[in-house]
Amino acid sequence: MLIEQSAYSNRWRQVSPAAKGLFALCGMVAVFIAKTPGIACGIALLLCLTTLVGAGVPSVRYLRVAAPALLFLAMSGATLAASLQSGPVSGMTVQLVPAGLARAAQVCGRSLGGLTALLFLALTTPLTDLIALLRRLKMPEALLDIMVLCYRMLFVFAESAHAIRVAQTARLGYGSISRSFRSLGALVAAITLQVWQRSLALHQAALARNNDGPFRFLEPSFPAAGRQLAVACSAGAGLIALAVVLP
Amino acid sequence: MTLARTGPIGALEAVDFRYPDNSRGLVQCTLALQRGSRTVLLGPNGAGKTTLFLHLNGILRPQRGTVQFDGAPLDYGRPGLRQLRSRVGLVFQNPDSQLVSASVREDVSFGPCNLGLDRVTVSRRVAEALAMVGMVDQADRPVHALSFGQKKRVCIAGVLAMEPELLLLDEPMAGLDPAMQGELEQLLDRLHRRGMTIVMATHDIDFTYRWADQVCLLAEGQCRAQWEGAALPEVRDQLRQWGVGVPQVIQLHRLLVERGVIPATVPAPRSHEALQRLLAPRTGTAKG
Repeated sequence: MLIEQSAYSNRWRQVSPAAKGLFALCGMVAVFIAKTPGIACGIALLLCLTTLVGAGVPSVRYLRVAAPALLFLAMSGATLAASLQSGPVSGMTVQLVPAGLARAAQVCGRSLGGLTALLFLALTTPLTDLIALLRRLKMPEALLDIMVLCYRMLFVFAESAHAIRVAQTARLGYGSISRSFRSLGALVAAITLQVWQRSLALHQAALARNNDGPFRFLEPSFPAAGRQLAVACSAGAGLIALAVVLP
Repeated sequence: MTLARTGPIGALEAVDFRYPDNSRGLVQCTLALQRGSRTVLLGPNGAGKTTLFLHLNGILRPQRGTVQFDGAPLDYGRPGLRQLRSRVGLVFQNPDSQLVSASVREDVSFGPCNLGLDRVTVSRRVAEALAMVGMVDQADRPVHALSFGQKKRVCIAGVLAMEPELLLLDEPMAGLDPAMQGELEQLLDRLHRRGMTIVMATHDIDFTYRWADQVCLLAEGQCRAQWEGAALPEVRDQLRQWGVGVPQVIQLHRLLVERGVIPATVPAPRSHEALQRLLAPRTGTAKG
């Protein structure tokens, strides 16, 4: 939901998704061709600053969205850097080896860059715009339809699961551990049934509006897309140039 | 809409329909919907109102009997249904089961895009439909951030953008606050003035008496009666018997006539406001 809020309320909401996508892609490419982990981290920092300062995403929200991924990255980095060794004298020891450290730094730098590039795109662009972009990029229609429905239904079912949970709580459904399990089971059963019923209702509603194949929508229009693409292209090229030029 | 046609716009003749789980849908249901009318379908829950709508839109097919649109039996082939659904718009009761896209503008464009219209026409229709339901400011918000009433308006806009001749509304007032109900009523009046036939399922008997010029009573899958809207005072015993209630203004008017406050020769008012005007002193206006 944090990502959602940001995607709809940031300063670059009306910027062409193609431009934002291109910039994120250039960021990722730059990170992957960066020669040292330091440069990769530098590019990640630039991407992060672009999101915070350029698009005006609040830094607290940014950190909260990034936190799970950062935690995961820290854990993976630590396991890559350290190696478990067993010696006849000292027994099992955890050692930091230079090769492991270098590999960990490289992986962390790249991952950080990839993360910031994706966060830039996700925090500035609503998914409906991204789906429209993918449609223009000729992604298979079946996949797009599934994305449209999943995205829409995610919120419908989240709302309904929340409502059921509140109703269960109001009747002491989560009063004890065993009752909690029972209530959770009932919730899952109710939602499963709803998925089935709603899919039928949605199918009928789509038929009623004359749908007989893939979903078609009006593409959102971004009047300044050409200029924005040019800006994104030069900014992205700048990032790649940084990665190539810096030693 | 170009030709001045006559006869009912939609009709059911002895239609039988049972759902796959053997629950009752329609039983020998016969009724006719007058062209250009404002028709209300009354009836208790489970009377078959939604099933009837799904038949008129060609989504359900009768097991016996025929459904007609514009004087001809429905053609259930692909082109026939396409043609039918471009002329008959259906707004479902639950907006969450109608809204396909998470973007307001995209969802409203879904119907016109399915009609195969060009981009410019679709944009124009989407803008017009959003303006009609007063949702222009919300066009770029995600559907899941809207209130129930707003979602309902998006649903109506999505169907209006297809510019149907016959508009079917399944309990559109349910869940709306009084202000929104008033706005919806005004919108329906505007659409009706443009020549659209509107059929609505509702439980609100006071609204029905105020608004409808045709009333169909559905019970147990059958159309049990069809009246002129103005005739409801004469059939109040039947209304009571079928459990749909009697409009309050009819009851009050009757009492006032019995007490001699209003002369019996004055025609019965259709709404609370009309009754107030009747009772107001000639020079002043009624208080709210």
